Amino acid sequence: MATSTLTIGLIRADVADALGEDVEDIPVDENLVDYGLDSVRIMALLERWRRDHGVEATFVDLAEQPAVEAWAPLLGVTA
Amino acid sequence: MTAVLEPATEPPAEQAVRLPLTAAQSGMWFAQALDPESPAQNTAECIEIHGPVDPRLFAQALHRVAGEADALRVRLVETADGPRQLPLALGPVHGGTVDENAVRFPFKAHDLRGLDDPDGTARARMGADLAVPFDLAAGPLFQHALYRVADERWLWFQRVHHAVMDGFGYSLLARRTAEAYTALAAGEEPGPSPFGRLTDLVAEDTAYRTSEAYETDRAHWNAAFADRPEAVNLAGRTALPSRTFHRRTAHIGTELSAQVKELAAGVRATWPEVLIAAQALYLSRATHSEEVVLGLPMMGRMGSAALRIPGMVMNVLPLRLTVAPQATFAELTRQVVLGIRAARKHQRYRYEEIRRDLGLLGEGRALVGPLVNVMPFDYGLTFAGAPTEAHNLSAGPVDDLTVNIYDRADGGGLRIDYDGNPALYEESELGVHQRRFLELLARIAATDPHAALAGHGICTSTERALVLDEFNATARDVPPTTLIGPIEAQAARTPDAPALVFGDTTLTYAELNARANRLAWHLASLGVRPGALAAVAVPRSLDLVVTLLAVVKAGGAYLPLDPDYPADRLAYMVEDARPAVVVADTAARVPAGVGVPAVVLDELDTSGQLGINPPRPLTPQHPAYVIYTSGSTGRPKGVVVPHGAIDNRLRWMQAEYPLGPGDRVLQKTPSGFDVSVWEFFWALRVGATIVMAEPGGHKDPAYLARTIREQAVTTCHFVPSMLQVFLAEPGAAECTGLRRVFCSGEALPRETVQEFGRTLPEVELHNLYGPTEAAVDVTYYPCDTRPGVAGPVPIGKPVWNTRLYVLDAALQPCPPGVPGELHLAGAQLATEYLGRPALTASRFVADPYGPAGSRMYRTGDLARWTEHGEIEYLGRTDHQVKLRGLRIELGEIETELAACEGVTGACVLVREDRPGDQRLVGYVTAPAGIDTEAVRDRLARTLPDYMVPGAVVVLDDFPLSPNGKLDRKALPAPAQAATGTGRAPRDPREETLTRLFAEVLGLDRLSVDDGFFDLGGTSLLAARLVRRIRDTLGIELAIGALFQAPTPAALAAQLDSGLGNDEVLRTLLPLRTTGHRTPLFVFHPAGGISWCYAGLLSRLDPDQPVYGLQARGLLGLEAGAELPASMEEMAADYVIRLRSVQPHGPYRLLGWSVGGVLAHTVAVLLREAGEEVELLSLLDAYPSDQWQDQAVPAEADALTALLRMAGYERTDELTRDDVLATLHREGSALAGLSDTTLGAVVEIVINNAHLMRAHRHRRFDGDVLFFTAAAPRPEDWLTPDAWRPYVGGTLSEHTVDCLHPQLTQAPHLDQIADVLSRRLKELDR
Repeated sequence: MATSTLTIGLIRADVADALGEDVEDIPVDENLVDYGLDSVRIMALLERWRRDHGVEATFVDLAEQPAVEAWAPLLGVTA
Repeated sequence: MTAVLEPATEPPAEQAVRLPLTAAQSGMWFAQALDPESPAQNTAECIEIHGPVDPRLFAQALHRVAGEADALRVRLVETADGPRQLPLALGPVHGGTVDENAVRFPFKAHDLRGLDDPDGTARARMGADLAVPFDLAAGPLFQHALYRVADERWLWFQRVHHAVMDGFGYSLLARRTAEAYTALAAGEEPGPSPFGRLTDLVAEDTAYRTSEAYETDRAHWNAAFADRPEAVNLAGRTALPSRTFHRRTAHIGTELSAQVKELAAGVRATWPEVLIAAQALYLSRATHSEEVVLGLPMMGRMGSAALRIPGMVMNVLPLRLTVAPQATFAELTRQVVLGIRAARKHQRYRYEEIRRDLGLLGEGRALVGPLVNVMPFDYGLTFAGAPTEAHNLSAGPVDDLTVNIYDRADGGGLRIDYDGNPALYEESELGVHQRRFLELLARIAATDPHAALAGHGICTSTERALVLDEFNATARDVPPTTLIGPIEAQAARTPDAPALVFGDTTLTYAELNARANRLAWHLASLGVRPGALAAVAVPRSLDLVVTLLAVVKAGGAYLPLDPDYPADRLAYMVEDARPAVVVADTAARVPAGVGVPAVVLDELDTSGQLGINPPRPLTPQHPAYVIYTSGSTGRPKGVVVPHGAIDNRLRWMQAEYPLGPGDRVLQKTPSGFDVSVWEFFWALRVGATIVMAEPGGHKDPAYLARTIREQAVTTCHFVPSMLQVFLAEPGAAECTGLRRVFCSGEALPRETVQEFGRTLPEVELHNLYGPTEAAVDVTYYPCDTRPGVAGPVPIGKPVWNTRLYVLDAALQPCPPGVPGELHLAGAQLATEYLGRPALTASRFVADPYGPAGSRMYRTGDLARWTEHGEIEYLGRTDHQVKLRGLRIELGEIETELAACEGVTGACVLVREDRPGDQRLVGYVTAPAGIDTEAVRDRLARTLPDYMVPGAVVVLDDFPLSPNGKLDRKALPAPAQAATGTGRAPRDPREETLTRLFAEVLGLDRLSVDDGFFDLGGTSLLAARLVRRIRDTLGIELAIGALFQAPTPAALAAQLDSGLGNDEVLRTLLPLRTTGHRTPLFVFHPAGGISWCYAGLLSRLDPDQPVYGLQARGLLGLEAGAELPASMEEMAADYVIRLRSVQPHGPYRLLGWSVGGVLAHTVAVLLREAGEEVELLSLLDAYPSDQWQDQAVPAEADALTALLRMAGYERTDELTRDDVLATLHREGSALAGLSDTTLGAVVEIVINNAHLMRAHRHRRFDGDVLFFTAAAPRPEDWLTPDAWRPYVGGTLSEHTVDCLHPQLTQAPHLDQIADVLSRRLKELDR
């Protein structure tokens, strides 16, 4: 099954959706925990990205560095 | 196969490592240290594996994982530096140890397939294992077992101490174990360990605790909880942690789970947040609190190395929420989302530290209510392809209630466990809460999240039907009559029956009816008609009943003006109510300047009026009476009660407690209190008789007991506090003609019910409840007065045509057991507050559960249903208080206080600084020097006396809580009035009374002129005092006497057994003249005064009379009067004296010091006269032989004797004045002696010393009971054995460890009285 590649923009949009915030308010370099990101939301994002984008990263990988920039390589974003 | 595994041993370098515990671990370690035998810190889970498992490979996988997880493989020891964790070496995988420093690998496999119930057996074994505490210092702190329960089904059980593992850690361990087993099963070497190291965990913790973030976090939590909110819980109380917990497991099905997740998505939240919001809603409604604090366990690993470390990291954070009925579920959920977001930023700060910072630890207070523990981690593990399900068995200690929610791996919805502390919750209660919560969740999921929360209640549908309908099935057809119609009908039926008794006068039904009719015609001519009011200012009398009947007969409603109220208040009531007339007994009682026509009974001749019933177009909707109650805004308000309401009430009462012609109802309640309404009218409707108490009589229990007895009263009412006072009255037990007693007006304590059962076992006691706004009473409860019945006394079930609703803040019904505000609906509601439409509309609101257009009354009372449909009263929801049955709005008093000159701020509290003693205290801010007595006088002009604070405290500022609200709890207790500085007692009676006053008031000492009520005495304390006086002095005293004579001096003067100043110095001192036992005669010591024996009174049986013998001449040695010339002469005189009280034996004699010698001499004389002497007791008295060589004392020694009589050894008192000062300071009555008497005492002492030395003892042929003051003394030659030659019987000696003068002081007197009482009791047999 063909899956699309994630981009920084898509990640920010999905995170904004999970947090109930506007996408403009989601920074790429800040700790997302301070914005309300929690384990349940990471799990939900991960589930979505696995399904839609074939992501292979684990929960622990994402939870360890909860920031968009740090996630990019783990989520297969090509710079 | 074992070859693939290395023994799990540590590199040598690490063996020496002693790591400190992290803060998270310390919390758990400390909890275990508090109760080392407790298994509460055990956590456990069971993973069910469906498929083939090789137990040997499984063991190897576990062994490997345990080796990799160094945070798990430790033991915890206490060192001088605090607890430390030490690595633990594990023995080989299959038993035995290779190294004596290694511990056995804790794993066992069991094949249970051969058993009847393999699953049950496995569960039982897991349960048994879970009950075993770990030894932290020994380790290991984990334990594994593998049960084979079917060919292809295995249960992997693991138990770990919470100090080394948390829920997320379990998931890491399980995942790695599955991975390792799967690899081993495939014959492969598992990959490298994914785990981080314990040292990283400790390092991270240490770094945090020295970081800036730590300080920021601390500041955050301290600020967020600075006001220390009460953390409500479902149990309504807290308890110490238990060693176990109850668990109820339920499941949220796939459909509801999906709905919840959909709802969550719709409000941009996660499903755990929705569950937390729903739990907050449930808790808020179940506890009747708008604010709740939930505890949220957090995994605490986001952005941390701990994500890869199986260890103990989790934290519990408080989430504070406000659940307002008008908010929506979406808004509540948003509050949860934002609250958690804010908390998460500070999530590393420990729960234990927040509690400590807030000072909650010392007070044993909780920071949070229930915990909501959501574990979204679906393991979904496979063991070499075999699927699994994980089941948590214990999530750690349960302080209160923990709701654990698990997302199930199989897509089968959510599992929801209610774990409860068994000290707080029965298992069945957990089930009830769980069921209600799940029904609530289902309703939430099916409701628009943007609708107000007010639409949700927490009752299940069954409970809702129960509390709204079944408990309220009170419908009863009653004819549409009025208050008066049935009375006139009864008068026609039994004209000659006695209707009303007051003192010696009795009116028949015909007489009463005619008198009332004549006045009614007159009143009607003045405009008293249906819908009009007539104020009645008549004290309790025949005329009061005649007037009330006349008003109602004329069709009017009566407005009682209690003559005991202040004139200003009565004038206000008349001006507010605008009655057509004021009827008063005398012109003086008509409130001045109100411009309302007055009818003065003293001046009225109604003989020209008709004696027949007047006509009136009266309907049940017309008002029957208007009673004023305290108003929170400072103005009393008139409650208008219609005829239909009170008629329903009286019809119900007659059906429930049928009164007949032989019944006599006591009317003692003041007319301004609505209980009086049934006292006035019930009996007259059914042919019974009213007995009127005299004005003021309702406060005097002795009078009431006498009246009940003499007037053959069968039915009466008490407010509970007055019932307590009444039961303390000795005459109460003789009121056996009573058939039933009603209580209402305030909470009825169980102890009072039991006391009632002891005093009047054959009489019924009924507890009723109702506000003035609902025609006297709306609930009733027959009390079980037998001993052994415990628990609160309910107010009971609804009366006829009455519905009770216990509603939560959203006006939704509360299920049984859940507190809410009591609302009343039905036939008995008042019409309105007179002339106050806005107030009426706010208290009488639409009844959402009754017929269209019906109303309900908000009582402001907090209550709950029992499972049996009875209501329990719990208190008030506002600042209204009930003090001795009287309803008081503190706001009304505060308004009056604030209006006083100079007062800038006011607050009033009910304090209970002495147990069981409630009183009003006012607090004001005012310039220094304000006269608080003037403030109280000012209040007394407008407020009834029960509303005037007993004390007014002046403050510079009111104490405020951190959020700026008045902190009522921080208001100081009023300083005790300066006491004990006035006059000292002048005689033993005053001394005894002063001591009893001080004892009952809880004061160290007071003067004889201190007023009982000024020092905080209340009528309850007064009852206690009267009882103590009775037991001590044998004097029956009415409580009323205490109101008239409130100081020890005044009371002593009033005690008419006539101990005047002179009498107490006569030869015979009647210390206690009452009692049926043989009197005890006590003989004065050297100084000639016997007051020193007063202390015996309270220590001996109240039935034991006591008389003192005192020296002649204390009142002054008139010319020619001589002191006795010998001991024998003195004794002979005393024999005559005591024979005037008790002509013949057997006699009981006691003497201290010289008094002992006298007692002995008197005993000899009595025996010679042929009398029996059954008791001769000597207190540290020694025969004259022992004194003969001693020098005769001078005045100085007389002063010593004087001090000794008061119980003190002389120290540095040089002069007579010094001695008097000491006596005064110590509150001795001897301080009040006149100069004449003091002079006489000196003479007497010296004379007695001479006589003692000259005395020749003779032999007494009986026994002697001797008390020795055994403390070392200079006169070490004194010995009771010196009595041997003079005692024919046995000399039994009791030693008391004190000096000679201290013998008559507590506690030594206790010891003497103890022995003496026993001896007296033997003699009585």
